[in-house]
Amino acid sequence: MQLRSSWNRLLTLIACCALPARVMAQGATITGTATGEGGAPLVGVTVSIAGMGLGSQTGADGKYSFTVPASRVTGQAVTLNARRVGYLPQNVLVTLTAGTITHDFAMVTTPLQLEQVIVTGAGTSQVRERIGSSISTVDTGQLVRAAQPQNLISALSATTPNVRVNTQSGEPGGSAFVIIRGATSVTGTNQPLIVVDNQPIDNSTISTNGGDGSTVTQNRAADINPNDVESVQVLKGAAASAIYGARASNGVILITTKRGNNGPTRWTISSTQTFDHVIKTFPLQTAFGQGTGGNPGTCTADDCSANSLSWGPALSGKPTFAHGTEIYDTGLTSDNAISVSGGNQRTTFYLSGGITDQLGVMKGPNNRYDRTTVRLSATHQLLNTLTFGGNFSYFNTRGDYVQKGSNTSGLLLGALRTPPDFNNQPFLDPNSGLQRSYRFPHPSPASVTSSRGYDNPFFTLDNPGNRSELGRFLGNIKADWVPTSWLSFSETFGADNYTDSRLESAPLSSSTDPVGFVTRYTINNLEIDHNLTATGSHSFNENIDTRLILGQNLNSRRYRDVYIFGDELIAPTPFAIQNTVSYTPTETKSLRHIAAYFAQAEGDFYNQFHVTAGLRDDGFSTFGSGHRTAVYPKVDAAWTFTQYVNHDYTSGKGWLTNGRLRAAYGETGREPPVYSTISALSSTSLFGSGFQDFIGPKQGGFGGLVTGGNVGNPDLQPERNREGEVGFDVGLFDSRGDFSFTYYNKKSSDVILPAPTNAASTGAQTGLVNGATISNKGIEISANARPYTSQKMDFTIGGNYAKNNGKVLSLLQGVQFIPYNNEGFTGSIGSSTVGYAPGVLRGQDFIRCGYGLSADVDGSGNEVAVDPLCNGAKKGALFIGGPNNRPIVNPDEQVIADPNPKWTAGLNAGFRYDKFQFSTLFDMRRGGQVWDGTRSALDRFGTAEETLVRTSNAGIFGQNVLPNEVVAGPGAGKPAFTTPNAWQTWFTGLGGSASSVQSQFVEDGSFVKWREVSLAYTFDNSYMRDRLGFSNAVIRLAGRNLHTWTKYKGLDPETNLGGAEFLTQGIDFFQNPQTRSFVVSVTLNR
Amino acid sequence: MNRKTIAGLMTAVVFIAACSDNFLTGGELSTDPNRPTQATSQQLFVGIQAATWALLASDPPRVTGLWAQQFKGGNIQYEAAYDYDISEQTTNGFHQSLYLGGGLVDIRKLEGQALAAHDSVFLGQAQVMEALVMGEGASMFGDLTYSHALKNELNAPLDKQLDIYDSVQVVLDAAISNLSKTGPTNFGAADADLAYGGDPAQWIKLAHTLKARFLMHTAEVRPTVYATVLAQSNQGLTSLADNFNAVFTGDANQQNFWYQFDVVQRPGYLLPDPQFIALLTSRNDPRLHQYFNADLSDLADSLIEPNHTQPLVTANENILLGAEAAQRTGDNATALAKLNTARALAGLPAESGITGQALLNEILLEEYIADFQNIEAWNLYKRTCTPNLTPTNPTAAVTGGKVPARFPYDAGERNTNTNIPQLGSQPKRNANDPANATSAGTGAACKGQ
Repeated sequence: MQLRSSWNRLLTLIACCALPARVMAQGATITGTATGEGGAPLVGVTVSIAGMGLGSQTGADGKYSFTVPASRVTGQAVTLNARRVGYLPQNVLVTLTAGTITHDFAMVTTPLQLEQVIVTGAGTSQVRERIGSSISTVDTGQLVRAAQPQNLISALSATTPNVRVNTQSGEPGGSAFVIIRGATSVTGTNQPLIVVDNQPIDNSTISTNGGDGSTVTQNRAADINPNDVESVQVLKGAAASAIYGARASNGVILITTKRGNNGPTRWTISSTQTFDHVIKTFPLQTAFGQGTGGNPGTCTADDCSANSLSWGPALSGKPTFAHGTEIYDTGLTSDNAISVSGGNQRTTFYLSGGITDQLGVMKGPNNRYDRTTVRLSATHQLLNTLTFGGNFSYFNTRGDYVQKGSNTSGLLLGALRTPPDFNNQPFLDPNSGLQRSYRFPHPSPASVTSSRGYDNPFFTLDNPGNRSELGRFLGNIKADWVPTSWLSFSETFGADNYTDSRLESAPLSSSTDPVGFVTRYTINNLEIDHNLTATGSHSFNENIDTRLILGQNLNSRRYRDVYIFGDELIAPTPFAIQNTVSYTPTETKSLRHIAAYFAQAEGDFYNQFHVTAGLRDDGFSTFGSGHRTAVYPKVDAAWTFTQYVNHDYTSGKGWLTNGRLRAAYGETGREPPVYSTISALSSTSLFGSGFQDFIGPKQGGFGGLVTGGNVGNPDLQPERNREGEVGFDVGLFDSRGDFSFTYYNKKSSDVILPAPTNAASTGAQTGLVNGATISNKGIEISANARPYTSQKMDFTIGGNYAKNNGKVLSLLQGVQFIPYNNEGFTGSIGSSTVGYAPGVLRGQDFIRCGYGLSADVDGSGNEVAVDPLCNGAKKGALFIGGPNNRPIVNPDEQVIADPNPKWTAGLNAGFRYDKFQFSTLFDMRRGGQVWDGTRSALDRFGTAEETLVRTSNAGIFGQNVLPNEVVAGPGAGKPAFTTPNAWQTWFTGLGGSASSVQSQFVEDGSFVKWREVSLAYTFDNSYMRDRLGFSNAVIRLAGRNLHTWTKYKGLDPETNLGGAEFLTQGIDFFQNPQTRSFVVSVTLNR
Repeated sequence: MNRKTIAGLMTAVVFIAACSDNFLTGGELSTDPNRPTQATSQQLFVGIQAATWALLASDPPRVTGLWAQQFKGGNIQYEAAYDYDISEQTTNGFHQSLYLGGGLVDIRKLEGQALAAHDSVFLGQAQVMEALVMGEGASMFGDLTYSHALKNELNAPLDKQLDIYDSVQVVLDAAISNLSKTGPTNFGAADADLAYGGDPAQWIKLAHTLKARFLMHTAEVRPTVYATVLAQSNQGLTSLADNFNAVFTGDANQQNFWYQFDVVQRPGYLLPDPQFIALLTSRNDPRLHQYFNADLSDLADSLIEPNHTQPLVTANENILLGAEAAQRTGDNATALAKLNTARALAGLPAESGITGQALLNEILLEEYIADFQNIEAWNLYKRTCTPNLTPTNPTAAVTGGKVPARFPYDAGERNTNTNIPQLGSQPKRNANDPANATSAGTGAACKGQ
């Protein structure tokens, strides 16, 4: 923007100042040549006189020339300034006299890109050097090389400190959960605002039938094709994102898409083929078969129910089947993209299209995700002062999914619980043609609507009834008007509209609903945004530049969905609503408006001290009527102190080539959920238990209404985050290295939470109130080094490190935690608990030493203090009591797992030799606990490999059962289990998934992941150009997710059951793992 | 005008436009298009009816059935409950549901609306529901918030269990009085009442039976109530047509809970308990195969149909309460006659020539068997230690190795009321139910209390 407006200002001045020729002849003409590396002429260098608004750009020959009119030439000394992105700016004093003044500039590169103009949100942009708050730019080269490049959000993993990404699983169509600097809210998923080309877009993740079962669901920002992305800025702190007010409490990700440029028409064709494999499957035992107590549990009669466990007899030599691996094969993703762009001085265009077809690693055709995108971006300069532009994108996605998770028809739940001696193939009984499973091995034709216990995994894979189809249009129109040299206007008007149609169904004989069901869910969302800014700039003198921006933002978000649940299939297919016996439709609608005004003032002093202050006044229709608007201020300052430390810095040499201190303070907010100020009745409340047996309030033809479980709060205000940050950025050692450090302290108050209200007192379970406070403090460090750079080869290494300490400081008076009942399971339930970051798991633990607990230690029924019996063991040691030498249940619920990591880091390295480019990326996480619910269930069922311990006649806690625990107490070190039946009683009771003590399955989820390694070769010889017509071709081979170093025993410490729909991460319960990929990619450019 | 002024004016115009408050309020912005805010009395009644059915036919009778050893736990959470590995999650939300939508909050709303409309029949029906819900709640949880309920107080105190039972009796008396009134505005729930079609006479009988039931709940600590129990039960349910049932159509969200649990959601979790099968077999009771299927692996098919009508308060229970009360006040003849009436309703031959403790044992066992799939079987066991169950897990921590005698308070209620302690500090037994030293039926030492 800056370069263009300088140019426009110049043209405008010439146009409207219409000076007679003889006056111009007496002015001062300033001319010269700008050169870059090795003395080559450098195009695009802006040479100007600060404060006079005069200047010009160098052309392809490196020459510039402009004239100061005679009326302004008084023999004064002025500063002549030369700038270009990627080069150090240069200033020189010249004296203006009539005639020609020549000055040449030798420009020196700096990789710090301080002069780069970056988008700062809401239509504003600023030179990087002047920004005092923390904004990170993501290297888009890393995006296309990322582990899951199809999902743009997933691709941000390990690229920026404190942008933490969890990808739900390796399945096609899974979501990516991204947290910037820590959760600031205990309701909602704390995802940042995504803005594309100055237009906020929808990034919601809404599953059809619940995140804990059902299928994976995409987050909506994944519709964008990463090949279309030019740059990504992450506004991390409140000062940076205050310009988005009450939508920005979790930061903002600004995406700018590619544009055309003035010049010859260019095109790019690329094709990437990826082969995916499952990295790790769950270790299962193959020594003991179906049954219980050492006795076989199979059956032979028609429609018999066989035993669900694998605690049966030793198999010794009978054929066994690898249930952990037989459901997977190789997945293939094919990503093809083409783009054409070009333009002239007045018009530019960029046209692109892409098709991605992703077939997953599960056997069968029903795990795929296809996306087609088409985009056109164009700008046209109508008048010298007026430019129009438009961006229009259309996305179409189709997915086929497989049921997962806590779902008796889920894939892994059925597969991993199957005893090793049961052959899941064929999945249809040869006689009756109906599903057979290990719990229902001989289905007769009469068993069409009988449950199979747990579905045969191949039957699950064969179910084609889980699909989604989405069509999305994203478009905006921009207008930029620059009527005077000091005033400009910019308008963006955009719309984001999508319709997502889902089908989720269970065929006849499914365990989750043996009579079958069909769910139809259609979501329609329309967001319209208008953003107008007026920018006025003024230079008081040559050393002081100021700018004032005023803005208006109007936004409307309209949401509609219709959900129809059809129960009981009539015929086995089709999976359509009319083919069900009874169906229940519900619909949800909402409309929200925003009217906001913002102002921002910027000052740049002596080219070294920069200050920005801003204010946003947000009015939301979702705020309570008493607090309809909220004001969010910000202030930031940056001081470039390089010249005081290194006087020679313009040459790019010295130990400190750039040094900048910055400090910022800002406030952002978060709106209350829609309609939460309203109390109402409910016609959809369900009555029943956690086992999903429900009836509704409509019975026998009569409709019923009951008081809703949530009481509305008309005084609800938005949440508020107040954040201060300080930091510095330095360039070191002849610009060979750079280092950045930020410390931030963020306090969130008035956090909205569903206060569990006392049902006996209020008749409601929850009401939303402002009341919680959350603190997030941390540091971010990033460092890059370019130890060797030359024409022929260079070597770069970079890393980032971030630490965030999040803590819920208080919820409500007397309330210690808020449970999230749909996130997790009995025994391991998601929650936000005081003293921990939001999103931790709660459950029961065993009695431990050092906490002043008492328990019935000897089975006598009397409770005694436990600590004196611990014999000085360390705090937290597991107490083993008599008479069974076992641990004792502590009935008090507490936090058992904190999935939030202590620190995260990324490391990348690149090496270029001639035309070869090698790069690699590591992703590290320390801390972050995961509850391995899959292992707890498989221990209970006897299929986990660790249950082979049943053959031991000396089961001792701390040694071969719960081996990582330090034990103490009267029973410590003594055998608790001596027979296989005793082991079975343990694992099927207190030692497995039936146990209320799930803390025993919480593990450390620290990992180091080798995310990517790639080798690329660029062909650009003249043969390519002359004969084949492209200027270069790049061939790349890569591997992704090559290895994970972790102590976690489950499939993947990063996987999460609910994806981006759950705030509580760290739940592992029969969802699919990440995949390893090998990639071959060819790109042709012209 | 010069360029600068035009520019300035345009800036001002654009900013002033569209900045009125109307952009943020009105229509779908300020009114929730998804939820109603007013309900008719009939609509409230239908909701209350559904919630009450859930309390009496969803998880509570299943869990109490495990504790009363009519069922055995077959998988995960039910194995844990059967082994007395209970926690706040065992309660499964049924403490809060006493008060939430469809519970006391709406019962009181209905009573208010009925009072305002001068509809005494509706008021009486609502009061019967209130008594049923709170009385059953008191039997499960013990002390509960009642007199201070729904007043938006912070840390509302809990009423003592026996006081709740007393209040319930007062409410039932008011209900009976209201149901007896006639008048032009007395419509009641009419056809929306799926159990009785709105017939006030049936509701009066139900109220008398509930008076008998809840008085009997206090009998262990107030042995003088037996005479009143007898008197009340004589005015209560007498025939199968009098049963208070949950009526399910079998359509989506209108399906019998036992069907939903045992067939759809969690097959295999409930198995017939060997103790119960042995009892039924030894008595040659035909209900063995009415309750369970042919190979005794699951509930009988007729009980797990989606539209199976579920009895919640039965004539059998009422008559047997009367029989027990008669026996305990010395009238063995009446007791025997009532026992035989109840046996006849169940299709069993009459008994003769038994009296005293043996008669009492027969009456109690008969009620235990008749109260299958009902919380009352467990209440009966708690009160009388009959049958003399052997605890399944003598080393269970939470219950001290005894048969569980109450449900833990809901964690959500505990978390929001300082008067409710952590599970470890909650009493193991309710006030109306001190541990029995001996079984009332056989006189032998009680094994499970």
